[in-house]
Amino acid sequence: MKNRINLYLVEFAINALLRAKSKNIFIIVVFTLLIALLASIFFITNSIKYELDQTIESLPQIIVQKIKAGREYDIEIDRVENIVTIAGVESVTPRVWGYYYFANAGVNFSIVGINQYEEQYKKSLENLVDRFDFDKLESNSSMIVGVGVKRVMSSSYYSDYFNFIKPDGTLKKVMIGGVFRGDTELESNDMIILPQKDAREIFGMSEDLATDIVVKVANPKEIPTIAGKIRLLYPDSRVLTKNDLKVSYQNIFDYKSGLFLALFTISLFTFFMIIYDKSSGLSSEEKREIGILKAVGWSIDDILKEKFYEASIISTVSYLLGVLIAFAFVYIFQAPLLRGIFEGYSELKTSFNLPFVFDMQTLFLLFFLSVPIYIGATIIPAWRASSLDVDEVIR
Amino acid sequence: MIELKNTTKIYEINKNNKVTAIKDISFKIKKGELVVLKGVSGSGKSTILSLIAGVSRPTEGDVIVDSKRVSKLPDSFASKYRQESIGFIFQKYNLIPNLSVIDNVLIPLIPTNPNGEEITIKLDKVLNHFNLLDKRETIVKNLSGGEQQRVAIARALINEPNIIIADEPTANLDEALSLNFIDILGELKKEGKTIVIATHDPLFFNLDIVDRVLEIQGGVLSF
Repeated sequence: MKNRINLYLVEFAINALLRAKSKNIFIIVVFTLLIALLASIFFITNSIKYELDQTIESLPQIIVQKIKAGREYDIEIDRVENIVTIAGVESVTPRVWGYYYFANAGVNFSIVGINQYEEQYKKSLENLVDRFDFDKLESNSSMIVGVGVKRVMSSSYYSDYFNFIKPDGTLKKVMIGGVFRGDTELESNDMIILPQKDAREIFGMSEDLATDIVVKVANPKEIPTIAGKIRLLYPDSRVLTKNDLKVSYQNIFDYKSGLFLALFTISLFTFFMIIYDKSSGLSSEEKREIGILKAVGWSIDDILKEKFYEASIISTVSYLLGVLIAFAFVYIFQAPLLRGIFEGYSELKTSFNLPFVFDMQTLFLLFFLSVPIYIGATIIPAWRASSLDVDEVIR
Repeated sequence: MIELKNTTKIYEINKNNKVTAIKDISFKIKKGELVVLKGVSGSGKSTILSLIAGVSRPTEGDVIVDSKRVSKLPDSFASKYRQESIGFIFQKYNLIPNLSVIDNVLIPLIPTNPNGEEITIKLDKVLNHFNLLDKRETIVKNLSGGEQQRVAIARALINEPNIIIADEPTANLDEALSLNFIDILGELKKEGKTIVIATHDPLFFNLDIVDRVLEIQGGVLSF
């Protein structure tokens, strides 16, 4: 019974907070906003990182491009025959892809030509589209388009098909066979998938050429070795490994997260300013109150417990509110203003959803960055004041 | 019994400024006695009360109350001593202005984590005794000076202490209220409480209920 929580002390702490209502509401509002900002930064970073990891995971192990005069050119398909003979290579696939400028809307579409024997595409496409039937796509000369593409085409009255202008000025009519799932918008917003022969027709690319060649390796540890061998075999090629692409993606992410780091630092700095201000001393009124409590029989321990309850209530309420606001801001409202930092500039801007990533570590980190620090900053000056002679405090 | 033995208290304002509040003071107060400490402002009366109440420690000497060396008690024991044995009535009441009468009176009880029944009994007793029942929910800053003093007395008595200490209790009261306070003191004396009052109010010096008047001048007892 002796150790049961002293509810009168908790009630006293609540009353103490209510007595300085405006001051404490102000502290809660500022504290909540800071935690919400910090939490939003963490949540957005987690989501984007998750999204990037997913993207990187789906990248080819090796991409071979042809370089001439420092520029990228279409690559000869017959190189596939030689690359596939390199020991350790599992499969080699030429890809046909590129950009199509739709002048009416002033936007670029990303066109990817596929063929039905390309296993790697099949799997990805099944993930991106609810129902995927390649045979139907090929026989109807139809395409699957991203949500953004569909929107742009519809606004130009192309709701069932689209007329691509070929390099020779003639038109290529392709039916819209399907739209990518909304939750894949980050990757698929500006994308058009159609049979490879249609893509070649639109790009004016001959049968013996491809945009690039992707190589799948049996043992991922062999990727650098095989990339080296390809370079030796075709000195005019640029061989990009998954790791090169990862570094490049990471650099973009790190650059952009640097801006977030600045925001993070500012909010952390503000938080510590408040903490410093709080821990540097109590008002004479607060000191006097501590003196009164001691004079009527409260021990230092009782005073610190009461201050602990006060600080816990303020910091926990602020923490919970801050995290809830950040959850709503990032995952419901999709982080207006802040997410712009991560969105690249493009004419057909992606309108992806930040994926919900629940990371307990982030929540713990935020908790330990806020609640215990605030409690400490409240208790330390109270301990200093309550350690003085009571009459010194009251006088 | 309360005993001060060669007690000196020096306040250190800063490194170069020290104030001797009392110097080498010794006296005893028997259980149930009502003693008045008389002296002008700054003579050291309040310091003696603080030392007896255990809210301050002497620079030299000892303060012994009921065989306990109050001056040497560690904080937790000193708090327990104040909680159980001392009822302190401050000159400026030292109430918490934004709390209600009940909440102020209850403050000394809170650390003991009492049960509801104990609280009700003790509260009803003191509020009734000091005519505060109808003001129980009133915020103390809205009370008159006399009412505030009654709240301060009720708070000092809620733990039923044996020693009552009052620092200039009538300094902010008119004559009628001062007389009312003296009546209360009479009742407390009848109950066997030991009472120590620091005052320069002449009203106290010739009262029947007062057993002794000790005069303090410049921090020393004057006989």
